[in-house]
Amino acid sequence: MKAPPSSRALARAWFDIGTQSFGGGSSTLFMIRRILVERMGWVSLREFTEAWALSQLSPGIHLVAMAGLLGRRIAGLRGIVVSVAAMMVPAALITAILTAFFGRIAQEPLTLAALAGIGPVAGGMTIGLALTMARPVLQRGRFAIVDVAVIVASFAILLAGSAQTIVVIVVAGVFGAVLLGHERPTSSDAPMS
Amino acid sequence: MLEQIALLLVFLKASALAVGGLASLPLLRADLVPRFVTDAGIVQALAIGRLGPGPNGLYIVSLGYLVAGWTGALYALVGATLAPLAILPATALARRWLLSSWFGGLVRGVSLATAGLLLATGATIVNAGGTQVWQLGLVVATVAVTLQGRLHPAVMIVVGGIVGLALGR
Repeated sequence: MKAPPSSRALARAWFDIGTQSFGGGSSTLFMIRRILVERMGWVSLREFTEAWALSQLSPGIHLVAMAGLLGRRIAGLRGIVVSVAAMMVPAALITAILTAFFGRIAQEPLTLAALAGIGPVAGGMTIGLALTMARPVLQRGRFAIVDVAVIVASFAILLAGSAQTIVVIVVAGVFGAVLLGHERPTSSDAPMS
Repeated sequence: MLEQIALLLVFLKASALAVGGLASLPLLRADLVPRFVTDAGIVQALAIGRLGPGPNGLYIVSLGYLVAGWTGALYALVGATLAPLAILPATALARRWLLSSWFGGLVRGVSLATAGLLLATGATIVNAGGTQVWQLGLVVATVAVTLQGRLHPAVMIVVGGIVGLALGR
């Protein structure tokens, strides 16, 4: 086992991953593997694969869970703090500054015109991501009908405004734990694809 | 003070109950629109989150800023950072439990519901932004690009802005 890397090197690696990643799908996965496993040799392929599988079970941003899990493996508590902070803090700062600047021009006629085109793109991104999350359903054979029913029900309930969003999520979680537990989770890309 | 804590809890809750970065959107929209921010604000946050660096889910920081300035951005960052780290004690204390089939089923149920909720939220955003033919064309193009997954999403934001400047006045 080699000595843990310096905080600086670790921060640099996760800063790169955070800056270059988008979508959190297989391209991000490939990049983390290339940097941490192949180039730096800080974690083994097996550790990497396991962290990926576990991170898919985490709440919120999976990439943060991935940074925490791999950071802990690489350098313990220091590794967690350095990895997560390097990935999140600079990116968050830039995001907040962009928002502040945007606030100054938000009511300009040209901005409003541009937003008329950006709105449909933001909506399309959200719909596209929803379809990406639903895509594993296609491989489920005859069980697909149950999965599609959960998706359609959640969609209809939210649009109808007849229940709170949080209730839909909790009910679906309980439903999944009781009825869908005989199969593997499908929220992730296959680690090695 | 109480209001500040409530706001932090809104961001923490949305991150803790979502599987995936953008999955927090339906929950945040339910809590924040229209009291603290409009659907136009949601569009801004999504666009800036995509133009800026970092994972998909960082749109939450932009939304936090729109809701309560720098304090809001900080709360959003804290919520988005702390929630996923729950996996750390969970793997140390209950690894076996995490890999059990019922937990897998729970995550799957939540993911499927989130897909449905995100579909509805996307439709709402499209509807709020306008449904002229060229706008619906942009929606279809963006969905296709997102599903394909090769092109950086920021490119579509820029394309949308340019098309908007040409046709949206």
